[in-house]
Amino acid sequence: MASGSVLNVSNLTKFYGDFKALDSISFSVDKGWVYGYLGPNGAGKTTTIRTMLGLLKPDQGKVQIANADPSNDPIHALRLVGYAPELPTLQTFFTGEQLLDLMGKMFGLSIQNRQEKTKQLLDLVGLASWGNKKIGTYSKGMVQRLSVALALINDPLVMIMDEPTIGMDPEATAQFRNLFTNLSKEGKTIFISSHLLDEVQRICTHVGMINKGKIVFSGPIEQVLDTFTQQWVVEAELQNVTESIVSSLKKLDFVDDVKVEGNKLMIQLKEKKDFRGEVSSEIFKQKGVLLSLNLQKITLEDAYLRALKGGQ
Amino acid sequence: MGALGRVAVIIGYEWRRAIAKKKILALIILAVLFQALVMIALSRLLSYGSSLPGFGTPSLFWIFGVLEGQGLFVQLIAIITAGGSMSEEYEHGTADILLSKPITRLEYLFGKFLGGFFLLAMVEALTTVVGIVLSLLLIGAQNSLEFAPLMFLAIVYSTLIFFSLSFMCSEVFRGSTIAMIIAFGVFIASSVISSIFGVLYNFGGGSAYLYLSRGLPTWAATNFPSLLMDQLIIGFGTTDTNALVQASIIIVVYAIIFFLIAAYRLVNSDVSKKTG
Repeated sequence: MASGSVLNVSNLTKFYGDFKALDSISFSVDKGWVYGYLGPNGAGKTTTIRTMLGLLKPDQGKVQIANADPSNDPIHALRLVGYAPELPTLQTFFTGEQLLDLMGKMFGLSIQNRQEKTKQLLDLVGLASWGNKKIGTYSKGMVQRLSVALALINDPLVMIMDEPTIGMDPEATAQFRNLFTNLSKEGKTIFISSHLLDEVQRICTHVGMINKGKIVFSGPIEQVLDTFTQQWVVEAELQNVTESIVSSLKKLDFVDDVKVEGNKLMIQLKEKKDFRGEVSSEIFKQKGVLLSLNLQKITLEDAYLRALKGGQ
Repeated sequence: MGALGRVAVIIGYEWRRAIAKKKILALIILAVLFQALVMIALSRLLSYGSSLPGFGTPSLFWIFGVLEGQGLFVQLIAIITAGGSMSEEYEHGTADILLSKPITRLEYLFGKFLGGFFLLAMVEALTTVVGIVLSLLLIGAQNSLEFAPLMFLAIVYSTLIFFSLSFMCSEVFRGSTIAMIIAFGVFIASSVISSIFGVLYNFGGGSAYLYLSRGLPTWAATNFPSLLMDQLIIGFGTTDTNALVQASIIIVVYAIIFFLIAAYRLVNSDVSKKTG
């Protein structure tokens, strides 16, 4: 296992019959990382998660969580893991309090600890007034909230969440995004599978991208943006575009090319650096009136789409 | 928390799950009602004479009443209780929640098995008590009541075969309906075939037919309690020590085989996603 990593997946392969759902995937997640796991439907995200938890038997490769293999040693591997499945189907005959209590028992928590945690977590996920009601009466969003609470009952070192905010309203989504950020600040490692790229870009420190059962990228979020950015562009909107401004900009060392689109200049940079200061100075020198100046960096969505197309 | 603690958590869970299922409660009510009807019928029959040929003496009617009252129902409850035990977790998608916790699959399996089996024992205890109380109230003073706990244990032990069979089918097929249908099918087919072999033996077909008849699961499951009572209470019926030993061995062998198949399936395969 890599030094400092709490979750390590190496050469994991999983077949469903003849279909290769995971093709020798490898990645590792260090303590304190918020790792976003991205991929289109059917790419293998949920299969990865279920194999990581020992629910699926890998055909090849192995998973280690806190130095233990969840498939062979679930007692040690899973005691530090909190898991919130995608669209969870919980035991509807229990109340929220009863299910939290049961899960607390499964982690060997004392009665007092379970009672305290149950109250605290129901409050945290906004279900304090629903704790004594049967789960069968909960809405989809409430079940999702309870699922996150269940994943926190053991104060986990690693939280594994499969589409945790699916079915939640925008307010709850924002609330949970803050929760995950705060948990990360507390030192928890968070592994999130999500389709919401904006959400991932906001809260994740690292990302892994999977497509057709293969990892196409795994690393820091800045690195993914950098890797899949072909060229940085400064977009300058001027009151009037003159030939002198264009030609002077073209002469700058860091400028590759300048394209004119109406009263906008698209200044293509040779390096992936922020040269807005230098660009604005040059425009002022040429008596240009600058209305706006933006650095067009790639978004995670662009990077994701390029990664799925093989980096093109 | 040790392995026993984790198994105990699943036993508790299984109790609550089974009790939450209305079909189990309905079966308990039906079993108690059926027990009461048998006792009422026996008391009405007795009103035609002081004894009934083939039923033993009235002072031992509690044995007859409890054995006959539960002979079929307890096997049906065993099949229904075990048939949903594993499969309903797959059907409802709740197996993921439980098996992603720090518990081994074998601990989970033991917990599920024992939880369901203890629930079945509780139902049987209830119906046995109802049968004895009604026999005292409707028929009069009863003898040999000190053997009631043993008879209760014998009945519970006799359910192991079909409980284990249904439990195994529940895990192997991961569908409660198919598990129950197969277990019921085996119960009926085994009863019929065992009876045919018994008839062939009685018509001089040789001892092989007797062994075949006894080797099928229904014979041991349905005869073990009465064979034990034959041994304990002289005069209640005919005594056949060999048959009692055979029945007790057959029950445990079938139960172990069925349990091991279920364990093999759970330990060596993926946890199915929601199927229901």
